[in-house]
Amino acid sequence: MNDLPHLGEIFDRFKRGCHLGPDDEPFYSALTARYDDYAAYFAPLGLQLVRHEREFFYFEPENPENVSDTMPRIAVFSYIFVDHAANQGRPIEEFIFGQNFLVTTLPHFTLDRYTALLRQVEVYDVKGLETILRHMERIGWVKWLGPDEFRFLRPFHRVFCKCIELAESASTPTPVQNGTPTTPP
Amino acid sequence: MKVNAQAFFNFCAAHVPLLRQFAERTGELSESEVMRLVREQADAHEELPETTWRRLREYQILVPSEPGGESCLLAEPVARLLTYLYNNANPATPEIIRGYVQSLDTLAKQLARALENENVTVVGLAFNEISLTLRRIHADLDETHQAILAEVGRYKTERQRVSVREKFRRIVYWMERYVEPMIEIVRADGPLRESFDEVERLLRSAREQALFNDHPALERNLRFLRLVGAHALRVFVQCRKEIQPLYESLRRSTFIAEGASRALEKLQSEGLANWGTAPLIGICSLRLQNVPGDAAIALALRRVIEHPPELPPVLDLTAEETAPEELVRRLWLDLLPDHVRPELPLPDLLDWIVKRHPGKDTSAVLAGFTALVFHNDFEARFSEAQPNEYVTANGSIQACPVQLKSP
Repeated sequence: MNDLPHLGEIFDRFKRGCHLGPDDEPFYSALTARYDDYAAYFAPLGLQLVRHEREFFYFEPENPENVSDTMPRIAVFSYIFVDHAANQGRPIEEFIFGQNFLVTTLPHFTLDRYTALLRQVEVYDVKGLETILRHMERIGWVKWLGPDEFRFLRPFHRVFCKCIELAESASTPTPVQNGTPTTPP
Repeated sequence: MKVNAQAFFNFCAAHVPLLRQFAERTGELSESEVMRLVREQADAHEELPETTWRRLREYQILVPSEPGGESCLLAEPVARLLTYLYNNANPATPEIIRGYVQSLDTLAKQLARALENENVTVVGLAFNEISLTLRRIHADLDETHQAILAEVGRYKTERQRVSVREKFRRIVYWMERYVEPMIEIVRADGPLRESFDEVERLLRSAREQALFNDHPALERNLRFLRLVGAHALRVFVQCRKEIQPLYESLRRSTFIAEGASRALEKLQSEGLANWGTAPLIGICSLRLQNVPGDAAIALALRRVIEHPPELPPVLDLTAEETAPEELVRRLWLDLLPDHVRPELPLPDLLDWIVKRHPGKDTSAVLAGFTALVFHNDFEARFSEAQPNEYVTANGSIQACPVQLKSP
């Protein structure tokens, strides 16, 4: 077990909330090849290593109720982006993962509703969005490609999973109402 | 009114883009809208827009949507012709196919009666009508297939901003309106197959009874029956396969959009303070506190390793010969309440202690006195009598008598 490659670096990233996906080589390959060994190594320390169905890795948070101040900002930022993506005429995941984005052209300040929502988490301008994106970069959700350009990484799927969880928890009155099924995908 | 075919087609040939515009629009067209379209295409030919408008009405390309009404529609035969020319397929509804099946059932009954009565004329008529119905079914199924494929293609290629939810509703509509009901009709044990089997049986019977002598035509119909049945099922299974991935993808997107929308709505209506943690995504963050660093651990280990060896301490595990004084005192105090209980009430507690336990020193006497005075089972009362002197093993105590009794 002690021969697990990159153990120190991997632990160092996970403990700071980072997610490791295909963009994080050579750690990703090591985790993919020996996931069970890594999980068994961390388990006695009370750390649950999660292998997401979309093939990325992270530590399960110990107490989901205990969240940092940044998480509401990330959540609002992400939900606004998903809301915007839903109106673009393409499947949301395809839209979000299929292209790069410029910070200056983000939709977050294009609608008064979005602006008001961001104000609630004390984000007032593009600079604030950049700060959120920097934090998302630290946890492995986005990657900067230039001073203004970035793209979303695979671990952003955690936002989609949360969205589905929220939709599922909401009551749906009939099995198929207006073409909306009750069972989530 | 009869339309001159030559003039009609000449006009159509000169106004192809305009006709295409009409074909691509659905619903009614107002005169002003038609005139606008005509003017947009006016460069293509030398004709006044008013003339074009008049001819459109004359050739019955556009017909009034209601008698005397101002708006008009593209005439149904022209629309069908354009659909054919542009290869734009219109889907047949399940009701249309069910209508064909019912028609076949009726024809089968007529054919059965004609066979029973050996009525050659009715057999021939029924046979022709069956052939026609089969051709229509085949053509309509094909057209529906084309229409569904075209719709799927549009979903995949269109870039217009239609919300995911809207797209999903449309694809669900196609699934529920066309694909699934059609499969129900054309499946191997469905009504279409049942009807075809009956017609096939009757056609064979007609041949055996020599009531229909056009054997090649009869064989052709029998082949057609089998072909249409198999083709129909294959077509709609293929349609389902085409739509299914799109349906799944859009379904997931719809759920994602709904979840995000709900989270934002809650934030908007209830504020951040009441947003709760449900919409937040948990991230692991290990906060290390008071953890020794690697250097400290290494130092501690080095100290252990480098510590000079020494013999382990020897523990004396043999039993002691005399009981420890404190233990004796503890046991005496524990037993004292049991000793005093049978002798209650006592007029003078200290007197009783020093007389009953004359070897006890002042400290032990006072400890026993305190234990009994504050014991839960007894009640002590200080009297106002003259102080007495109580002699202990190592001194004496002067005190007023204290009475002790049960509560």
